[in-house]
Amino acid sequence: MKMILACLALATAFSTPAAAQPSFTGPVPTPPADTRADTLRRAYLARVNEVIDTTLAAVAPGQPLSREQLLAKLVRHQDAAQVSQRVLELLREPQSGDMFWMFPWTAIAYLGRDQLSPAARAAIREAWRTYFPLRGDTENHWAMYYSSLYLMAELYPDEPGETWFNGKSSAENLAEARGYLIHWLDLSTTIGQGEFNPTHYIGEYAIPMLYLAAWAKDPAMRQRGQMKLDWLMADLAASTLHGVLLGPNARTDDTSVIEHWNGLVSYFSWTMFGNTPPPANYGGWGVYFALAAENYQLPEVIRRIAVDRAGDYVQRDLKRSRQRWRYSDVAMAPICKTSYRRRDYAVGSYQGGLADPIQTHVWDVTWAVPDPRGVHNTMFSVHPLSSDQVMQTYFTELPDAMIDGLASAGKPSYDVPDKLLGCSPFEQVFQDLDTVIALYDIPAGTRFPHINGFFSRDLVNVTEDPSGWIFARGGNTYLAYRPLAGYEWQQRLGYRHLPSTGGGYKWERVDQGDKLLYSPHRQNGTIVQAASASEFKSFADFQAAINALPLTFQLSPTPAVKMTTLRGRRVAFTYGQAPVVDGAPLDYTRWKLFEGPHLNAEKGSRQLTITHDRLTRVLDFNTLTITDQVNE
Amino acid sequence: MAWGGFIAVIETDPPSTFNAGDGQIFAMIPSKKTFVLLALLVLPILTAGCTTPTHDLYLFGSINSAGRVAGSRDTALNGLYRRTPDGGFAHLGLNYPAMLTGSFDPRDARVFYVAALSGVLRTADGGRTWRIATSWDMTESKSIMVDPNDPDTVYAALPDGVGVSSDRGTTWQRRENGLPSRGKYTQVITVDRTRAGRVLAGCEVGIYLTENAAKSWRQVLPTRETVNDLQQSPHDPKLWLAATQSAGALVSRDGGLTWEKIPGVPSAHALYNVAFDATHPQRLALASWTYGLLTSEDGGANWTERNAGLPAPPRVWRTAVDPDTGRLYAAITGRALYVSDDFGRTWTNGGMENSRIQGFVFVPKSAR
Repeated sequence: MKMILACLALATAFSTPAAAQPSFTGPVPTPPADTRADTLRRAYLARVNEVIDTTLAAVAPGQPLSREQLLAKLVRHQDAAQVSQRVLELLREPQSGDMFWMFPWTAIAYLGRDQLSPAARAAIREAWRTYFPLRGDTENHWAMYYSSLYLMAELYPDEPGETWFNGKSSAENLAEARGYLIHWLDLSTTIGQGEFNPTHYIGEYAIPMLYLAAWAKDPAMRQRGQMKLDWLMADLAASTLHGVLLGPNARTDDTSVIEHWNGLVSYFSWTMFGNTPPPANYGGWGVYFALAAENYQLPEVIRRIAVDRAGDYVQRDLKRSRQRWRYSDVAMAPICKTSYRRRDYAVGSYQGGLADPIQTHVWDVTWAVPDPRGVHNTMFSVHPLSSDQVMQTYFTELPDAMIDGLASAGKPSYDVPDKLLGCSPFEQVFQDLDTVIALYDIPAGTRFPHINGFFSRDLVNVTEDPSGWIFARGGNTYLAYRPLAGYEWQQRLGYRHLPSTGGGYKWERVDQGDKLLYSPHRQNGTIVQAASASEFKSFADFQAAINALPLTFQLSPTPAVKMTTLRGRRVAFTYGQAPVVDGAPLDYTRWKLFEGPHLNAEKGSRQLTITHDRLTRVLDFNTLTITDQVNE
Repeated sequence: MAWGGFIAVIETDPPSTFNAGDGQIFAMIPSKKTFVLLALLVLPILTAGCTTPTHDLYLFGSINSAGRVAGSRDTALNGLYRRTPDGGFAHLGLNYPAMLTGSFDPRDARVFYVAALSGVLRTADGGRTWRIATSWDMTESKSIMVDPNDPDTVYAALPDGVGVSSDRGTTWQRRENGLPSRGKYTQVITVDRTRAGRVLAGCEVGIYLTENAAKSWRQVLPTRETVNDLQQSPHDPKLWLAATQSAGALVSRDGGLTWEKIPGVPSAHALYNVAFDATHPQRLALASWTYGLLTSEDGGANWTERNAGLPAPPRVWRTAVDPDTGRLYAAITGRALYVSDDFGRTWTNGGMENSRIQGFVFVPKSAR
């Protein structure tokens, strides 16, 4: 199996010894009532400083500094001699880590350029000649690789090819890196973000963009870094509920898919918006952002989108699948994302199909909780696809070894029948406000010809109604789940990451109290309808309202549903056909890059308008301009 | 692509590179001006009983790579290994875990090109220094081959088409006219040794042929899934074999213009590569994750599983045949390199423990 990032394993590799982490153990933060710019800035910097402080507090007397501790000392301008010595020690060893080596050493080179000894600086420079990092095979790899290469080529200009690992001169490296970065920015600002809304991989994009914003000598590249960071944070702000990232997600993992808060992304919500706790150890990567975070100023309009929701809203976004090398008519499939945000819950989905081969999460309902730590506050179903050919669609590998290798590469659930992670070409999804209809038409002979529904341990009053609906309550949200075919209940085991001293990801399956709705039927479907508890006098009233909804469905010859939603919309959805809402077919080809009350962009525009109440910021990559407006 | 192969001694101006069997063999007598094909059938006789190999064997692969992800700590030396006089293998140059195969310049074997995750790597000094020859827009090269009759020209199989360099890897262009807009995933590219610019490409949707140095391509065989390997016989340049993902093994007897399925070779699961034996015109070998090692000793009429003595299950990632001795190699992924001197009847562990060998290349010692 070729290189695929295992975020958890890498986060572990990067992690420093545990130290007190006030924000992780403390109460859930609340956004400040005082929203003056200097107050917000102080709060932001306080959070950033907590990361640096915690990292430094973990320094053990007599023990060698980790790379993160070394960086924290550089941030604080502490112990330059000790840090220089440690740089020399680290670089005497054989190097590993590819692009995950590149960006930390880029940070050390920049933060240390006025602090490190000449010998240490020379050793860093020499390492960029002798250590040959892989370029990787996906967009987050390339973002890290080329941002780092760009910055190092700027730091060491006019040097010949023999002084660089890849044999290219500084000028060649700069040109190639710039070419790729602009190409990638073009893609993501015209036809949509790949690896969209990731629970962990946001770090792989946000950190390189921050470094460009902080350190690029070329003002145009610096501007691109800042603007793309704004873009990412705006997308994050609009995709969260009280700081917790919602589905769908191009990439998540076996933990975050059921505990949405528990991912690196919550570090960014905490740092930027101050409205949720960061994960343990700041997600492993927080320090790499914190070390340069003072160079970034979060636009107030973005912060307000995250923390100040005046009412319910629908946001539609266009995203992009991972590169498909083969077995597909398109190189990158459009992902049409729908989100409905309310105070008590959110519903999100895309239209189904393949976004990423392993780690996609297609749809869910997520309910708000006072403290998201350890809470499995979500509901969804999935076809647990495991397919050599789908893997080959996205990876340029021979067929058979890939699936075998995934388990030790940090994706233990890929070929497991009870998995909850992943997407399938045999799932199609339609969402209208807080109604989701997921239909499945799984060909005979498909491995794992069944669907899995996730029923959290944190649901209460789970009731199997004679009507066929299953009712439950999560937080202040009432949920109705309608399986369209027979099912049985299974205990659902989670994954607990174990320490691993050798290569590969180690884990164990543990009972976390969740249940799996296992439905062994190839033609299948799920309907989920959510509502706020406050809309009904009682749970029974909610159940009665759901049972009163007009609903017909069929599974054969083609799965299809016709119903009136709780919101009074007449919807019809047949597998393989466009969904119909109140008689009008939904046209995914008209999906805009962003469309909603807060984020708007035309497809192909390279221009994002970010709006909250009276504030507007326009990011225009055509002209590399940022325009702010405040309406009177 | 793995490199089994054949041996040929050629005198040519410029000297030629050959691709056949599952490998690439170079034989150069650079002082001569005329093209003389000597060996093929003759050389095995000449070399019989020789105690000293006339070829260097290079392996491309990785060690302890199971579960490796981008960013992993490498615990071994990866990339290029060369056979040592005692029969072991010594790492050469760059520690790079994602090299797939290589092709040498027949005029100077210090110049070679490697298909790698980062694109095409090139060294001009026998592996001491390297350059990523391609830019960001050509990634994950799967196969590469120098044109033996025009050795300034190098062809690279790419997951989104074909790249060609006409200046020894300095600059690269896409040459995909005639390849489909989708379906041009190219796993293998093999140059016909008989004519400059005649190249076969194994793609997602079939086998494609160019006869004008990739200025235009035409499909000579449609397939439903990827063609994994294409090799030209060292004994008969009109004879080609293909190993495919789901169409079994295929044979062409007219230089790749027409193809037919080889009966007796299973096709339910993927075949990874195919090798000719340069010392014996009837001997063929196929590698497969599922079937292990399949051999034929009658030119492909009958096939036998030769897995006894290989680690079970016999996940054969690559096979090759030594052009000096007819020794058969089976690279068992994650286990070791196994060798057989009786064409698969018995096997011994040939070292490279915990390896995944992606490619074999035999280079005449005279080419150093």
